Amino acid sequence: MKYSWQISSAIQAGEVDRSRELVTRSLREGLAPGEILDKALMPGMEAVGEKFGGGEMFLPEVMLSASAFQAGLEALRPWLKADDASFRGKIVLGTVAGDIHDLGKNLVAAMFTANGFEVIDLGVNVPAERFVAAVEEHRPDLLGLSALLTTTMSRMPEVIRLLQKRGLHGDPCRVIIGGAPVNEEFAASIGADLYAENAIEAVRMVRRLLLRRKRGEAVAKVGAG
Amino acid sequence: MPYARSLRSRRSDSITVQPEGGTYRPLNNGDIKAVHETTVRLLQDPGIKVGNLEALELFAAGGARVDFQEARVCIPRGMLEDAIASAPSRVTLCGREERYDLVLEGTRTYMGTGGTVLNVLDPETGVRRPATLQDVRDLARLADALENIHFFMLPVYPTELTAETVDINRFWWALNNTAKHVMGGVYTCDGVRNVIRIAGEIAGGIERLRERPIVSMVTCVMSPLLMDETYTALLMEVARHGIPVVCPAEPLAGATGPGTLAGTVVIANAETLSGIVLAQLVNKGTPTIYGTVASTMDMKTGSYLSGNIEMGLLNAAAAQMAQFYCLPIYATAGMSDSKLPDVQTGYEKAATAIITALAGANFIHDAAGFLEFCTTIAYEQLVIDNEIIGICMRAVRGIEVNEETLAEEVIRRVGPGGNFLTDVHTLTHFRREFFFPPLGNRQSRKEWEQAGAKDTAARARERAKEILARHRPPPIDPAVVARVRAAFPALCD
Repeated sequence: MKYSWQISSAIQAGEVDRSRELVTRSLREGLAPGEILDKALMPGMEAVGEKFGGGEMFLPEVMLSASAFQAGLEALRPWLKADDASFRGKIVLGTVAGDIHDLGKNLVAAMFTANGFEVIDLGVNVPAERFVAAVEEHRPDLLGLSALLTTTMSRMPEVIRLLQKRGLHGDPCRVIIGGAPVNEEFAASIGADLYAENAIEAVRMVRRLLLRRKRGEAVAKVGAG
Repeated sequence: MPYARSLRSRRSDSITVQPEGGTYRPLNNGDIKAVHETTVRLLQDPGIKVGNLEALELFAAGGARVDFQEARVCIPRGMLEDAIASAPSRVTLCGREERYDLVLEGTRTYMGTGGTVLNVLDPETGVRRPATLQDVRDLARLADALENIHFFMLPVYPTELTAETVDINRFWWALNNTAKHVMGGVYTCDGVRNVIRIAGEIAGGIERLRERPIVSMVTCVMSPLLMDETYTALLMEVARHGIPVVCPAEPLAGATGPGTLAGTVVIANAETLSGIVLAQLVNKGTPTIYGTVASTMDMKTGSYLSGNIEMGLLNAAAAQMAQFYCLPIYATAGMSDSKLPDVQTGYEKAATAIITALAGANFIHDAAGFLEFCTTIAYEQLVIDNEIIGICMRAVRGIEVNEETLAEEVIRRVGPGGNFLTDVHTLTHFRREFFFPPLGNRQSRKEWEQAGAKDTAARARERAKEILARHRPPPIDPAVVARVRAAFPALCD
């Protein structure tokens, strides 16, 4: 595909404006939006993920690449049809109400982007209502909650309770939590499905979860057939 | 206050970016002067004993008071000063590839392997066994691939070879397996001549070799204050060819040196300067490197020690003396007396390596691979020491302070409560500012456990194996190889 190499390089180099411009130009020249996503944006971000895994790229670079990817994706989004999306999965995430720490959450967002997930970042100081509304709207595979303070980690169970009340918790939407004060025991105690110590582990756990789910679906299909 | 600067302006500007040490100074300026003056007096009385007739004659002709009966040489102050002035203050040791060139001068610091041990911890079995020529090849290849090892000093003596063939085989097989500079001890005068011929073939002629010396050689003085017949002959042979040479002294405080560190700095100083005087008498202006391997004796066992902190102090002080004379220095650090790569190995090596590097010693040898009183080498230790050297070099580089690094505008731009992670300033600088350990583990416990919960030595062994399985150093021109092989049938396959 024309421009695929250029767009992929722009993402790997973290060139935000260039990524957006190239996607816009591709669209103007009549390239299919789904192709631009599959053959340019995604391979670019996949390469970033591989380079990070191999120790060639570091966090600041991955985050910039994720921004370049998002810029391209935003330019593309109005033209994408539902079945164009070839993302590995979808995650809605944010930092809970009363907490304005965004560094860890941003890292997690960048890592998911780098691994082929569609990321809907709600930002910081997000009330429970907004989390749940976003889940209703986007129907993600995962809801990610971040808290950096012992005083705000207590807002996490509130979100999960509301999610459960609306019947939105459980497949497909699982809850993953993270942040300095939380741990595995806390996650279990509030009914969260996953806890990850850092962004890389978060991605690994979620990928494993989705793989298991896929296998389960395949087995179910065979059974039904 | 460099001493020789008053004799002649010698330091010239250099453009390389190799880090410079010189911030750690165990001697103050008064101490340095005192060491120097004591050395001058001792070289006059009692002087040194020289067991080589040709050397005695050269010393006599050069103005020393020589007692041929007693084989005793007393070096007057003026003669010492002449030698220090004629010895170059910058010696460039070259790699087969220019990117590996070492410019030894001032406080610029390089670190690498050392010599010479007889045993190897077998990388497969972990059991100690005699070193072989195959180890010379494999260790050279490993050092070639390790990013922080700046040069390859021939680390082992292949026990299956005879003294007549060992010199050419050691150098030849090292040169074939690394493009980094190769320095080595030498054992026969024929060996010296043949190694220089071989290196000349590779460099494109003897003149070209003198311009770009891809090899250099080490002889030695016997402490206290004794130049023996053989090593002195070797020193003169190398000097005649105009190839860089080191004549280090290895006094052991409390045994072959005084039981004080200052006294040991003095005696080592007198000894290596004697070697420089002789080399300059043989061939005025020939590249000579101030050298020290000084250490202490173990007062419990009588053994030579290599991982003792005093060794670091002695070598840091020697670096200051060399800087005072404006002579490049070959120093010793980064060793351990432990028998395997363990905790003791790590802390002993790191301690002497870092203070000697911070002192700005130019060519720090023995800093990669050695264990057990400098008698044994381990492949995985080379990988571990590669990391220690990386850490030392980062410390030597220090903190760069300027408008850009102070980041005033960046701090303003990010503002209170923001973050710097995605700021372009962070992106621009973090790779140069932070040291990224190739070996050290920074995973979370969970990740580390999933990866097999391996300790550092195990991971280092794996890295060594990986490198040896795939790394191919740049080859020597096949035509040169054919010529050398035809001329030297004693080269092993």
